[in-house]
Amino acid sequence: MDTFEAIKATFFQECDELLADLETKLLDLESGAADDETINAVFRAVHSVKGGAGAFGLEALVRFAHVFETLLDELRAGRKPCDELTVRTLLRASDVLADHVAAAQGTGPEVEEARSAALVAELEVLTHGEGGSPAPDEAEDDFGFQPVAFDLPSLDLPSLDLPSPDAPGAPAAGGWRIVFRPHGRMYVNANETGLLLRELGRLGPLEVELDDSAVPMLDRLQPEENELVWTIRLTAPVDEAAVREVFDFVEGDCDLRIEPIAGEGPELPPLIETPDAPADDIDISALLAKVQDEPAAAVTPAAPATSAPAAAAPAASATAPTASSPPAAAAPATIRVDLERVDRLINVVGELVIQQAMLAQRVTESGLARSSGISVGLEDLELLTREIQDSVMAIRAQPVKSVFQRMPRLVREVAEMTGKRVRLVTEGEATEVDKTVVERLAEPITHMLRNAIDHGLETPEERTAAGKPSEGTVRLAALHRSGRIVIEISDDGRGINRERVRGIAVSKGLIAEDAALTDDEIDNLIFLPGFSTADAVSDISGRGVGMDVVRRSIQSLGGRISISSNPGKGSTFTLSLPLTLAVLDGMALGAAEQTLVAPLSAIVESLTPKAEDVHYVGGHDAVIRFREAFVPLVDVARTMGFRDAPVPPGQGVAVVVETESGARAALMVDAIHGQRQVVIKSLETNYQQVEGVAAATILGDGRVALILDVDALVANARRRPAAADLKLAS
Amino acid sequence: MTEPVVLPAVLDLRAAGALTSEFLARRGQPLTVDASGVERLGGLSLQVLLSAAKTWAADGMDLTVAPVSEAFVEQCRAFGAAALAPDFAGDPA
Repeated sequence: MDTFEAIKATFFQECDELLADLETKLLDLESGAADDETINAVFRAVHSVKGGAGAFGLEALVRFAHVFETLLDELRAGRKPCDELTVRTLLRASDVLADHVAAAQGTGPEVEEARSAALVAELEVLTHGEGGSPAPDEAEDDFGFQPVAFDLPSLDLPSLDLPSPDAPGAPAAGGWRIVFRPHGRMYVNANETGLLLRELGRLGPLEVELDDSAVPMLDRLQPEENELVWTIRLTAPVDEAAVREVFDFVEGDCDLRIEPIAGEGPELPPLIETPDAPADDIDISALLAKVQDEPAAAVTPAAPATSAPAAAAPAASATAPTASSPPAAAAPATIRVDLERVDRLINVVGELVIQQAMLAQRVTESGLARSSGISVGLEDLELLTREIQDSVMAIRAQPVKSVFQRMPRLVREVAEMTGKRVRLVTEGEATEVDKTVVERLAEPITHMLRNAIDHGLETPEERTAAGKPSEGTVRLAALHRSGRIVIEISDDGRGINRERVRGIAVSKGLIAEDAALTDDEIDNLIFLPGFSTADAVSDISGRGVGMDVVRRSIQSLGGRISISSNPGKGSTFTLSLPLTLAVLDGMALGAAEQTLVAPLSAIVESLTPKAEDVHYVGGHDAVIRFREAFVPLVDVARTMGFRDAPVPPGQGVAVVVETESGARAALMVDAIHGQRQVVIKSLETNYQQVEGVAAATILGDGRVALILDVDALVANARRRPAAADLKLAS
Repeated sequence: MTEPVVLPAVLDLRAAGALTSEFLARRGQPLTVDASGVERLGGLSLQVLLSAAKTWAADGMDLTVAPVSEAFVEQCRAFGAAALAPDFAGDPA
């Protein structure tokens, strides 16, 4: 059923967000950056996953989430301490929960029963204490309600202990009357009244009254609309916020009224009949509870009757939202859009840019004066087009957070495997970059993080011996720098062992034994193909992938990678990538009647060499002197096969470029046409891969221009091992 | 006597529409609803059952919900609709 599948797909999308939020909040708890609201948010995330999963009958997921949620409920009520061990277990539980979600979605393997069960056992020990038995019957049936009492025998100490320290709204002495009418949409959004009632039942004894008077006869019934109204009496002196929280996720999808029962409110609802429940006993005992509780709560919020554990003690209850204002009201207005539609829009805008450039060219060719109405209008159009293009690109821009937030788990797992203690610090998660770039960042970052922990960090013992804290720190940061995104991965480990790297490079024949290399050059040897050695390949960072592969995947994105290392202090890998793969700032170059585009980011400068500046090595390899060094001269038209004869000496322009690996060369062309922004058209998708060409674009005159793959072009022309530059001191 | 309407195990959002049609097709005759296999009862399906009960009562026809599963009774009760399963009403699980 299409609608159902669509709802399910939405559920999984939401799961992704919830799981990400869950992990973020748990990490806050771990780092001590949490506030009172954190544990509530954690609870809500797990609870929502469970709720949706229940609606779709995902039993394994529901069962696991249930146990997880039960512990969280204890924690948020302050009945269990939220200590370091607990948080670590919660983090691992969030990993397993994510695996369950992936398995349910079909994007991951089935979760190993033993692994899930082991964690369930751990969670239950934390919930019920060692040897404690779990609450009966709960986990078996996701919709199996706790038998909620109609009489109120259970209004004894446990429920009086409930005023949760996390929510500062005034507890109502006699409890709360909740009038609840779900909208049909609430069910469509995978929420269920039964679950809400059960959640309410957790707060205290319930009396549930169902008003079905508005339900029409069957022939007029809209099965997806709801006419039922529930009036619920919750007889526990809990805060209003705690009650509202139950309805957090259905707000907007229901009519909801929450009023204190004990007559503090000015009037009772006219709509609702007062149920003839034996209310007297409750009110008195609850009132007593309130009288005892309230002054204490008002003066020292940290001293409710229960032994509040340090971690869960509310440090500043004043910062919590006021009880009457429903939370989550200020959620940003967003819509979900099929990515295909966005891509189509981007393509169309790309065409628009090209069309606009063509139009401009035609106008210029027609010889109209620059001050003519058409020319002026065209300039405005150009500005507008540029603005549209920027706006469309902004739609596709995504914070790198989606990649970064997968990393804490990886770090935990690698740390566990290597027996190292690692703290991951992330910075700049909000840094935005084009979606296509974000997607392709995950793999190199993953590999480099593994590498940093496995090879970079020392064992706790080694660290202690070296006078460092036993826990190593790995920092993952993103920032914008001169129109590119920069990702830094640094560790405070041992740094690169240059002796060893050099030794390996020599033994592999990558460098000559007597090669004089700077520290930087030695560090960069690890990126050479064939450097990765058998003894460097371990379970964790090995996986048959060397740093050369990482570098290649970065380069295929138009990026570059570099490393700096400080022995004993750690290493930093720096990736720098273009913000988008859809447009490129380039320099249009002319070579043998053809127009070519070189990425602006690769160009260092241009010069017009005189005949005597060009030298030949070995009779044919031309080099040109450039700032105290000689760089190879690449005749573009010849290399690309446009013509056989080289540019005659003393003519043409040399454009000095720097490859992603830092090597320089001079591209010899006939002329420079000027800088322009071009829309990238993939050559692979539309034709096939061509050596030396990264992609194509369409120019203002409608002709196709090739975008040069500077790296390949230079490497091709040099035909030398990619070691160091030719450094010929003059 | 007509065949009973056998309720599926999961009475969720999806079941509500089908259930409505099934009941409508049986209108005008006494009906037995077999809820012995129900494991999960959702709010919208509950509404269909209540509407059916109303409709049959208005038509002056008998509508009996039996047999019932324990889960069905428990969930009816939690919904405040214990009257739907009168057989079990006085017999807490």
